[in-house]
Amino acid sequence: MSSSSYSSSPCAACKFLRRKCMPDCIFAPYFPPEEPQKFANVHKIFGASNVSKLLNEVPPFQREDAVNSLAYEAEARLKDPVYGCVGAISVLQRQVITLQRELDATNANLFRYAYNEMPPLRPPQPPPPSAAGQSSGFCYPYQWNDPSDEDNERSSGGNM
Amino acid sequence: MTLKGGATSACAACKYQRRKCIPECLLAPYFPADQTKVFQNAHKLFGVSNIVKILRSLDPSQHAEAMRSIKYQANVRDRFPVYGCLGVIRQLYYQIQMLEEEMHTVLTQLEMYRQHHHHQQQQQQHQHQHQISSMADDVISQLELGMAPSNNALPLFNQVTHQPYTMQNTYSSSDIDSPPKENVENNSLWIQHLFLDTNNHGTSNNDSPIAIQSQLLVPNSEPLADTQHQVVQDYDEIHPFFDSIDDRQSYIDTKDAEDSS
Repeated sequence: MSSSSYSSSPCAACKFLRRKCMPDCIFAPYFPPEEPQKFANVHKIFGASNVSKLLNEVPPFQREDAVNSLAYEAEARLKDPVYGCVGAISVLQRQVITLQRELDATNANLFRYAYNEMPPLRPPQPPPPSAAGQSSGFCYPYQWNDPSDEDNERSSGGNM
Repeated sequence: MTLKGGATSACAACKYQRRKCIPECLLAPYFPADQTKVFQNAHKLFGVSNIVKILRSLDPSQHAEAMRSIKYQANVRDRFPVYGCLGVIRQLYYQIQMLEEEMHTVLTQLEMYRQHHHHQQQQQQHQHQHQISSMADDVISQLELGMAPSNNALPLFNQVTHQPYTMQNTYSSSDIDSPPKENVENNSLWIQHLFLDTNNHGTSNNDSPIAIQSQLLVPNSEPLADTQHQVVQDYDEIHPFFDSIDDRQSYIDTKDAEDSS
């Protein structure tokens, strides 16, 4: 199977898929044989063919970043099958909102102090976590308005 | 693929796969026929079989949430093909870092202003104390010389009686949210003067100022509300001092006692 000119070991993807690792294997640069779990996770969640298609749509100099992000999302989905990496996004978004509110209140306090010579007020307590208005209480920072026509797809910058 | 009767149309998933959408279709509730783009994104990233595999590994009560996150993740990947949700996470981390840095800066500035304000208050208090003590010395020296108390003694009382009134107003109007420590120090100084006066004039309530003073000096770390409540109580305890002197003061103390209760 292997010739003398081809002595490199197959990449993790080809090893997992039990196929010959060709020189132009699209997975080889990003799934070294030393990291088998990386491809296993990605294949389990997304599938090798999907990953291959995604990588082909991305410029070569950005493929490593794309693979790393897919590996991260795959691992997150395996750890949390319900929310995956979106859970982390929700937590961070809440943190941003809380910090922004505290900062606004502290800035208002500083303004009072600096310009009115009044003692500062206490910053407001952060609001308790509430699921009001959302079925899960999750905070999705980017809203996706599903376009029913093509025009929306082009201008779907929207909130993103 | 629509039924002959045209009763229900296939979901976006079954439409894409050109198959009959059965009533038990797992994806039908989450990919209505008019959301083709959303399904295409999900299918592009995960694939139908992988989505079904994920759903089958979960409890039915978790399907809705799981599908929501899957659709979101797929849409973000469509929007950002290279980084996907990881890009969003990094952006949020960066935002948090910036906000924390800004908060640190603002808090530092606030602390500077607070210290400056505190020093100003202390200076004012020292000046006031010095003024009162110098007047008290005058009265004492006059008494020692065997002179009748001059009419200046009454102004001393008036000044002492006015002091709690001023302190109270200052406390209630502007020191509501100032650190409790400041108010404790101010009130303890005031109480010291009161103790001097009661000693000089032989009233029977000598113990109460001491009790009040010790009480006030203890709660340095209590919340502001508790400190304020204690001050109001202290006003009530020293209330008899001012009954005969200043009717306004007694009115104010009574009113505060009612409010605090």
